Amino acid sequence: MRQRRTWPVHAALTAVSAVMLLPFYWVLKTSISGENIFAYPPSIVPHGANPFYYIDVWYAIPFARYFANSVVVSAITIAANVVLNAMAGYALTQRFRGKKLVLLLFLSCMMIPFQATIIPAYLITGRLGLLDSYLGLSLPLFSTSICIFVYKASFDAVPRSLIDAARVDGLSQWTIIWRVMIPLARSATATNVILSFIWSWNNFMWPLIVTRSPDMQTLPLGLARFLSYQEDSTGALYAFCIMVLAPGLLLFLMAQKEFVQGLAAGATKG
Amino acid sequence: MSARSRTSRLRWLRNRFVIVPLLLAVVIGGWNVWVATHDHGIVTGRVIDADGTPVADANVRLWVFNFTTFVEKMAVTTDTEGRFRFTGNPSHNIQISADKAGVGRSERIAVRLYFAAEDRELAEPLRLDKPS
Amino acid sequence: MRVSGLALRKSTRRAILIWAFLAPSLLIFLLYRILPLAWNVVLSFQAWSPMKPAVFIGLDNYQEMLFDDDVFWQALWNTFGIIASAPIGIAIALGLALLVDSNIRGRDVYRTIIFLSYPLMTVAVAIIWRWMFDERVGLINYVARAAHLVDKPIPFLNSFTWALPSVIAANIWQMLGFYMVIILSGLQTIPGNLYEAAGIDGANAFHRFIRITVPLLRPSLFLCFVIGMLNSVTSFDLVYVMTGGGPGRATEILVTYIYKLGFNQTRFDYAAAVTVTFFILLLGITFLANRLSGGNAGAVERD
Repeated sequence: MRQRRTWPVHAALTAVSAVMLLPFYWVLKTSISGENIFAYPPSIVPHGANPFYYIDVWYAIPFARYFANSVVVSAITIAANVVLNAMAGYALTQRFRGKKLVLLLFLSCMMIPFQATIIPAYLITGRLGLLDSYLGLSLPLFSTSICIFVYKASFDAVPRSLIDAARVDGLSQWTIIWRVMIPLARSATATNVILSFIWSWNNFMWPLIVTRSPDMQTLPLGLARFLSYQEDSTGALYAFCIMVLAPGLLLFLMAQKEFVQGLAAGATKG
Repeated sequence: MSARSRTSRLRWLRNRFVIVPLLLAVVIGGWNVWVATHDHGIVTGRVIDADGTPVADANVRLWVFNFTTFVEKMAVTTDTEGRFRFTGNPSHNIQISADKAGVGRSERIAVRLYFAAEDRELAEPLRLDKPS
Repeated sequence: MRVSGLALRKSTRRAILIWAFLAPSLLIFLLYRILPLAWNVVLSFQAWSPMKPAVFIGLDNYQEMLFDDDVFWQALWNTFGIIASAPIGIAIALGLALLVDSNIRGRDVYRTIIFLSYPLMTVAVAIIWRWMFDERVGLINYVARAAHLVDKPIPFLNSFTWALPSVIAANIWQMLGFYMVIILSGLQTIPGNLYEAAGIDGANAFHRFIRITVPLLRPSLFLCFVIGMLNSVTSFDLVYVMTGGGPGRATEILVTYIYKLGFNQTRFDYAAAVTVTFFILLLGITFLANRLSGGNAGAVERD
């Protein structure tokens, strides 16, 4: 390859990066601004930066409660996803009667977006008596076709000879699953954790429908509710917005590689 | 990928996922300790007249932000050196004003606290330079 | 005999184990995918509300939807608009992927920045963009006014012309990084010697792009389109928070309309009819996209 000048590439990518980052900056700037946020022209850098919008919002809403609700719902969803999908994924690597049918079922379920089923899903959850509960909030996300196939692909990739060798060594089926298959499917587990975290953590529509009491609101719901009763009248909304984004952002920056791989794997295998 | 690079990648993972939450926990814990030891709701300050001499027996009012407006929460009077001291301020967003018949009244100044009921000594005295 | 009996018992035990492993997932799918879909279909032929017993009314709901409901048509066209915007995002992402794929310093940083917005909470993203599009002090209006592109600030989210494009722009902004990552992984599967061979044959960069890159990327592009479409069409949070479907019904999409029908007007039966239509629409488009890219995608994999 011949050497080319790289500055045009850098210039273009810097411009795009600016477009991607400026919205965050604009909200961050507003949230720490010490002056009237509706003054025109808006200042580019915050003058008299202070954290008072954050303090206001902390006392205006039960942020810790929302956060805890989100954490509980996500934790339940992640745990259920890893266990159920690993089980189903493992079962699908085996030979059994009706496998084609099950595969077809899982594949076709992938084509049903959850948003297209909300009304009966709401009615079903109501019949189960799970409205306004942690279980009701997380139950629809307990198992997803994409994650099952991610596990299946990962289990399929375990060399047959390895399993046979383990069996010859006298290991039981359970020990093989636990000691051989699961450790080798670590990246599938990472994908499962990340996908189910993103889905449950960011989920808005389902909590909006299922949640009744203010005590059960998750972070996205709390944020949207705050917007609807504050109607942009205060910079506290933007402080809240940043507070809501911060945990997800932190996690993403800590586990970037896993996030990118997980999301790509979820898409390509799905 | 060699076994070595795999373990080194895992060590990198473990470091991040342990150190960052630990750091956060330490910061949050430290902040909570600080809050717990500084939340007596004591607000102190001084009242002076237009010439800068301390005013005794001035009425000092504490206004607390409530939904959309500030409402008067409590009132105290200054001692002979013009000092006042509120105890039990519950809020994080307050205003303070002072007045004395025959001397004048002060601006209502806003005081932002970093947490509810933070102990605070006002750096600037309240100046009774407005006609009452 | 004994041996085969033992073997049989063993195989039954295995089958039981397999089905036991599958059962929880199957139950969830039955409960929250299959059953709702079936219930939707049944409900769409009925007049029903939580207080009244169901009455079969045939196609009445569909008739009302297709012939008497302007809001439905508005929502349908808006949904199509959002679907049609997916290729724009994909095209931009393709350009970005090519730039990031070149061997420059800091490419990982660029990639992270571009990908950053995708995994974040859409509700927060919607609030960010509300603020960006703000009439008085939004960054976009400020820049436009400072550059003298407009005399008066544009009330983006309150204008019938601008509301939908604004929502679409925010949606593309959020999806961009995702498209880019998918295309990047597609680019990495293209063998480098193909380019070298083309270079020897004297093909210029543009030809190489058209003849090699685009055809070989077709599966990735298709994947982007399907996922992007599903994601944008169901981006309830973005529309709900940014505009709430307004002004008027200018940004109403089918998902928000279904939500409003069901939970604001308690017309579950009619909402079910709209849902069934929405679902058929999604299936149709996916099938079409699959058809359009299918032949070539298969050919590439066989090579």
